[in-house]
Amino acid sequence: MKTKMTAAAKRRLVKSVLLHAGLLLFAAGCVYPLLRILSVSLRPGDKLVSTDLSLIPAGATLLSYSKLLGDTMFLRWLWNSLLITLATSFIGVSLASTAAYAFSRFRFPGKKAGMILLLSSQMIPAGMLILPLFLMIMKLKLMNTYLGMIIAYSVSSLPFSIWILKGYYDTIPRSLEEAALVDGTSQVGAFWRIILPLSTPALSIAFLFNFTTAWNEYLVARVVLFSSKQYTWTLGLFELQGQYITQWGMFAAGSMLVTIPVLCVFLYSSKWLISGLTLGSVKG
Amino acid sequence: MNVLTSVAEVSWFILLVAAGVAALVGYLYSHFKFYARSWFFPVVLAVFPALALAVSGGLLGGYTLKLWLYFAVAEAVIAAFFRYAVKGRHTVPYLLLAPAFAGLALLLVYPFVFEIYLSFHDLKLTTIMMWKNTGELPFVGLDQFVKVFTTSPLSETTFWELLLRTLVWTFSNVFFHVLGGFILALMLNNQIRFKGLYRTLLVIPWAMPQVVAVLAMRGEFHFTNGFVNIAITKLIDKLPFLAALGLAPVQWLSDYPLLTCTLINIWLGIPFMMVVILGGLQSISSSYYDAADIDGASYFQKLRFITLPLVRPVMMPAVTLGTVWTFNNINVIYLVTGQAGGTEQADILVSALYKAAFTYNRYSYSAAFALVVFAMLFFFSVFYLKSFDAAKDER
Amino acid sequence: MKKELLILAFAGALAACSRPAADTSKTIVVWEQEDAQVAPYIDSVFEAFKKLPENAGLEIIRTHYQTEDLRSQFQAASLAGVPPDLLLGPSDTAGLYAVSGFIVPLEGHFDFTRYNRPVVEAITLDGHAWGVPVSNGNHLLLFYNKKFVKAPPKTTDELFAFCAGPAKQLKLERCMAFDGGEPFWLMPWLGAFGGWPMDGKKPTLDTQPMRDAVNFYLDLKYEKQYVPMECDYNCMDSMFKEGKVAFIINGDWAISLYQKHFGKDFGLAVIPRLSRTGLYPSPMVSGKYFMISAGAKPEKLALLKRLLEFYTTRENQVKQYQALTRLPALKAAGAAPEITSDEVSRISLDQILKGRPMPMATEMRAVWDSARNYLGMATTRKLDVDTAVRKMQENTDKKIAEMNQ
Repeated sequence: MKTKMTAAAKRRLVKSVLLHAGLLLFAAGCVYPLLRILSVSLRPGDKLVSTDLSLIPAGATLLSYSKLLGDTMFLRWLWNSLLITLATSFIGVSLASTAAYAFSRFRFPGKKAGMILLLSSQMIPAGMLILPLFLMIMKLKLMNTYLGMIIAYSVSSLPFSIWILKGYYDTIPRSLEEAALVDGTSQVGAFWRIILPLSTPALSIAFLFNFTTAWNEYLVARVVLFSSKQYTWTLGLFELQGQYITQWGMFAAGSMLVTIPVLCVFLYSSKWLISGLTLGSVKG
Repeated sequence: MNVLTSVAEVSWFILLVAAGVAALVGYLYSHFKFYARSWFFPVVLAVFPALALAVSGGLLGGYTLKLWLYFAVAEAVIAAFFRYAVKGRHTVPYLLLAPAFAGLALLLVYPFVFEIYLSFHDLKLTTIMMWKNTGELPFVGLDQFVKVFTTSPLSETTFWELLLRTLVWTFSNVFFHVLGGFILALMLNNQIRFKGLYRTLLVIPWAMPQVVAVLAMRGEFHFTNGFVNIAITKLIDKLPFLAALGLAPVQWLSDYPLLTCTLINIWLGIPFMMVVILGGLQSISSSYYDAADIDGASYFQKLRFITLPLVRPVMMPAVTLGTVWTFNNINVIYLVTGQAGGTEQADILVSALYKAAFTYNRYSYSAAFALVVFAMLFFFSVFYLKSFDAAKDER
Repeated sequence: MKKELLILAFAGALAACSRPAADTSKTIVVWEQEDAQVAPYIDSVFEAFKKLPENAGLEIIRTHYQTEDLRSQFQAASLAGVPPDLLLGPSDTAGLYAVSGFIVPLEGHFDFTRYNRPVVEAITLDGHAWGVPVSNGNHLLLFYNKKFVKAPPKTTDELFAFCAGPAKQLKLERCMAFDGGEPFWLMPWLGAFGGWPMDGKKPTLDTQPMRDAVNFYLDLKYEKQYVPMECDYNCMDSMFKEGKVAFIINGDWAISLYQKHFGKDFGLAVIPRLSRTGLYPSPMVSGKYFMISAGAKPEKLALLKRLLEFYTTRENQVKQYQALTRLPALKAAGAAPEITSDEVSRISLDQILKGRPMPMATEMRAVWDSARNYLGMATTRKLDVDTAVRKMQENTDKKIAEMNQ
């Protein structure tokens, strides 16, 4: 049964086909290198590059994975990273969401200076901080403990989180809070019950940012941690890299395994990133 | 067992941080609240310096009278500031901001002061020993800063050429990050199937560990085995006239190292922008579009007059910070050109700075260099934010 | 008063966090930058040392760093006053530590005549020996794939004859591979043309031998096309492992890995004599060394000395050879039958004898940096050879002046 398509339906169909084609193309560009890494991890003989373009290499083996999980403390390192990352993201997002509220809803002296101060914390080339950071960590006796790392990670992601949340809060009309305040809600209540639920997209951006930054961090961890039991996966994985010889098979296997948790977090949080409570319905 | 102890340890750290935040807020709150009371000065001067001494003594392993005196003087200044300048105004915003700024200060004040100290002195290979043994360094005033502009850490490229190259690198990266992110975000913002799947696949470059992502992409630019050159060869086979136009496999890493780095870095940075912009698009009420539809606006008109201006407040921080990060980011450059010939052709300011610091151990020179980089970025962002505010006021 | 209580609790918590320092006289901290497959061997020696009756209660903490991290962390830790006791690494950063006063000279503590002379020479600066050698080598060799090559070439003429004839018939992608961008790989040829990058502490780069060596590279790459166009360490390694080239020039660190990978097809030879000059290429020879940090407590020195002597006993040196195929630094161990009876070690030793000690002077950093840059410019034909070599020298001199002014 052929029904005649209306012009609008036809346009929708064309649009959808084009969209899918475009997205597929971009997605392929993003997935392809990951597949190359997968093939390195399956390839015998620790070869990083290969003339062989096939994704499942000849003689594919899971040896690298079993060696990584069996001979090293990789799971332990993953677990350490996960704990630090979650703690960091929790602290980072809580501090940022309240600080951004102050920037968005209050007028006070030093507001602009404060915003710029936040930015300027990101402007010193990171490599130059190794020496002073080492001296500081020493003095505060934070060697080999996660406390220093958790503070350093959550603080260093603050500027971005605060800025992005402030930008988002600014788009929420004040009339919503004012209405609630008239109804007898406190300022804190208004923030908690109106601003936060409406800001889930920005909160999830801030969370994702905190998460990926802490998850992949190397520099501070290298300065703070000395014993391999306490390593994060970044340090642990780099143990496989020597001056000339790197165990690329295990390195790639590890990279595949550490990418999975991040993708899970993305998959889960993108629900909040997109839908949340859309402002449209409230703004009306 | 290990698992449980580490959970307990990290929870304890979270509690510690929370206690720290509470202590800070409590401390400030007492100053905001009681600044006018007659007992304000004696009480705060008695309580807080003693507490500070207890904490820092435990940390540094020494309770000295001198330390207590420092704290007392600091507390007196702070208390006076609250009594005569702040006078209990703006309590809420300051209390909200205090933990964030205290954390930043904790992390960055010391390193910053350290860099400034180094930049006015002369720490290098021949003076390290002296510094280590006596703790003192020759004072050289502004010498290091003069050297930053007159000499270059590289052999072929002057400071100014390097600056120009860094600007080109930064802006081409940020421009394509935003462009690519915007296109993808707009595509994803439609009602289509498998949206969640696409979104997850598209963030892979951001989700992967950067080292591996870069090394994988670097492999694709390999002369004989990389995807890019193989594709070019195949293309020439199919369409021979392209070869006549000069298309041929390229020695990417030795002939165009910076271009290769830029391409890889663009690939890496798009997903982050995409996520930010996607979040920003959610803040736009659909009623704007409905109204525009009624007025018969075209797609591009809607993009120009609704989407772009309304997504700006969310996008602006990402663009500003993205610029700062790209300016200072040498991960990609280091990983891509680390071993290839002709490394200097891909150096930007910051990678040259690291060379001075770590290959030649000229710490003071590189500290001055880092401060110059800092100053440039600082003025750029102040200027940029000013222009952003001006644009906002126009509307 | 609630907040005061909180503050008190916080203060108490922080104070509780600062633990008293543990007894460190029975702990030795070692930092190393070895490739990952070496770690088990190091640990096994440490274990054996701890089992000795006089070492009851001793603890040895080994921490691995990447090469660059080891340098920056050791510097930072030395400046902060908390360096490790021992450092295990190559000689090329030792000059920097020695000049900075981070490590102590050892000639009074150890009898250096027991070790091979070149390996000691590579750790000698300003008349002091700065490290105890544990292995000898780190030098480049010629590896070949016996599937393609029956007898290794003795001279470059033989090598090129193979490349021009049999290699073409075998349809190899290229004849041989090496890391053309890294000046370390240029040094053997520079020596074969009669040059060397350093004369004492003076760089000698703008020389006829250097021009010849670079021209030799260009000839191999563009005219003869025996080596790949653009190939770094990982690329050459993969090409050799995948049988796309018949020869590779790589370091002794790769011996055991290639043995494992190729089995009976594994072939090793000294880098062939350069037919044009009749000289043998002279790879840089150094080794791995234990260095004693200046921050190590004086009362611990005797213990550290015992550990290092234990690490380099004849027995352990032979064991190290068996585990890692690394040649011993101890003269007595070099004569052990386990080592002399083995063909691979004979070839490797032969190559060492043809090599020259790697200069330890800090000026060498400037040489590496400039040479890498201008070698890259010359081999990609962005600069002609004469200009590149001249600028290489000028720039090295300039950087050394800036570094030491």
